[in-house]
Amino acid sequence: MTVFKIYMKIAKKNIWLVLLYLAIFFTLTLLFQAVAGNSADQGYEPESISIGVVDQDQGKLSACLIQTLRQTNQVSILENDREALQESMFYNEVSYIVHIPEGFMERCIVGNDSLEVTTMPGTYAGAYLDQQLDSFVNFARVRAAAGFTEEETAQSMLEQEMPSVTLLDLRGNGGRMSAVSFYYRYLPYLALSLMCYILGYILIGFRKGNITRRMRASALPARRQAAEGLLASGILAFALWVFCTAAAFLLYGKEMIKGGFSGYLLLNSTALVLVSVTIAYLIGTLIRNSEALSGIVNVVSLCMCFLCGVFVDMDHLNSGVRKAAQFFPVYWYERVNDLIAEYGASAAYVRTEIFQGIGIQLVFAAVFICVTMAVSREQAQ
Amino acid sequence: MIEIKNLVKRYGSLVALDHLNLHIKEGEIFGLLGPNGSGKTTAINCMLALLKYDRGSIRIMGEEMQPDSYRIKQEIGVVMQDVAVFDELSVHDNIDCFCSLYVKDKKRRKELVEDAIRFVGLEDYRRVYPKKLSGGLLRRLNIACGIAHRPRLIFLDEPTVAVDPQSRNQILEGICELNRQGSTIIYTSHYMEEVEQICTRIAIMDHGRCIATGTKEELKKMIKTGETIVIEGVALEEEELRQIQQLPHVFGVGYEEQTLTVRCSGAKHNLIQILGWLREREIPFGQVFSQLPTLNDVFLEITGKQLRD
Repeated sequence: MTVFKIYMKIAKKNIWLVLLYLAIFFTLTLLFQAVAGNSADQGYEPESISIGVVDQDQGKLSACLIQTLRQTNQVSILENDREALQESMFYNEVSYIVHIPEGFMERCIVGNDSLEVTTMPGTYAGAYLDQQLDSFVNFARVRAAAGFTEEETAQSMLEQEMPSVTLLDLRGNGGRMSAVSFYYRYLPYLALSLMCYILGYILIGFRKGNITRRMRASALPARRQAAEGLLASGILAFALWVFCTAAAFLLYGKEMIKGGFSGYLLLNSTALVLVSVTIAYLIGTLIRNSEALSGIVNVVSLCMCFLCGVFVDMDHLNSGVRKAAQFFPVYWYERVNDLIAEYGASAAYVRTEIFQGIGIQLVFAAVFICVTMAVSREQAQ
Repeated sequence: MIEIKNLVKRYGSLVALDHLNLHIKEGEIFGLLGPNGSGKTTAINCMLALLKYDRGSIRIMGEEMQPDSYRIKQEIGVVMQDVAVFDELSVHDNIDCFCSLYVKDKKRRKELVEDAIRFVGLEDYRRVYPKKLSGGLLRRLNIACGIAHRPRLIFLDEPTVAVDPQSRNQILEGICELNRQGSTIIYTSHYMEEVEQICTRIAIMDHGRCIATGTKEELKKMIKTGETIVIEGVALEEEELRQIQQLPHVFGVGYEEQTLTVRCSGAKHNLIQILGWLREREIPFGQVFSQLPTLNDVFLEITGKQLRD
């Protein structure tokens, strides 16, 4: 097992690099997961806006409007003092001010006057409250047109029920991307960087100077040498996969076991590691000096990760980039990962798409193997 | 030991080996001498079955040499022109690793590795990594990796390139020692002095062909030059040079910057005759040298060019 031992010895020499990449991977994953996880939580929380109301009408309908606004916002009653109102807006005590004029019913409901408001243009809060006020005024106008008095209109508006919204959690993940999916999203960076660097370094070592000639001239059959090399590469790749899987179970064990989708994640990551090994072999065959290896590995791994939705969500990439990304195996890995993340416990419903994505990754692996063999044969002659 | 017949190897339109014929006997240090690009390394690659050839045959130890002739390869050691060792392994591990390509038995291998380390004098560098070794020590490690398994046939492809004179002498002595221990050695170089120093038989190669083979004495007998006389600090006219050219056994005269070079055929008393001729005409002269023919003279006369052209 001479070749196998040399592979392992050279790999052992790079242990610090392995630890460095693992540290970068786990830092990135946990960091991104924390940031993205928090924003996902907040997306479904009800928002209430601080608004101020200057009530110059003091009538029943104006009281009804204030009560309606209070159902979804924090309302403060303000004096009609221009300077005080400006200060409240300036210090963000309120984001929106509604001025209810004297004779609100006659001027704004029966008549066509608009409600005067003060807001910061282009803000989310402004647009949201504009809609609420329009809705109130329109409903009141309908009632006024039907002959309701101010008191009747106010009474009718108060009796109106707020529509209730029920969110159904069909995917069992509460509308959030699961933490383990974040972990597996960043795995391509680790797998590509580590496998390409370590195997590339080993393969360059074997082709340096006249080592190839010496090995080929030796009494150890060429097939045996190749088999031992493949075995060593396989064991290194398997070790990486086992480590990453063990870390996933350690960090997200409950989610992995209860989620019912861990099998798909493991299959997808196996395909990814396999593709990474074949890419590493191709790089190691094409590059002749170890100084260039680091640069090439960074270019290959970072390019694939940025183009294929590892660092940037695929939804944020334009259609041209997404089309180009389809020519990289990492795109298909991420596609499968996104499907698993989206469907969670119901991932079995998209089983065909998942296996299709994994199959395409394996086709990529086969293509890389063929190209590597062709290049090696050419170089040997 | 090795029988090569009509070996032809082409790289596209370039003929690297042109009907090469060689016969190497067991126990020899056989020198392959020739300028860069003469086909020495290609010939070795073909003999090691690292290259496919277009025509001819190669038999080693009585068997046709093929890429899968592992029984023959078991008896062969190779020392490459460029150092072929792993930078990531120590001196000991490198030798052990290459030895393990031939010897499976751990105990036996341990002895062989120790012997190889002692043989090349790297006892103090066992745990040192190749990057920390000087050029000479690295070459010695390269040799140790090729010979640790005690092969019967050793190919040494220019093992002394870019090596300091002291290390070169140690390497050459080592090669002779290997030969004394029973190994047949094929040694390629474009340093004629080395080949002349250690080789029992020599083949001169040019343009992929073997243009002369024999012991160094036999090769020197193949040429007309028996002696070259060089006289410095002598002022001569055209007419006088013509007269020297007419002297018995003289077949070549050169004159440059007051240095006269006279090439004579193998007869005795050439030097006395030329000095007598100068004294008769009272022509003063400085230092006088007489040189026996070198392999470079052989190469020059056979091919019409210097060996290092």
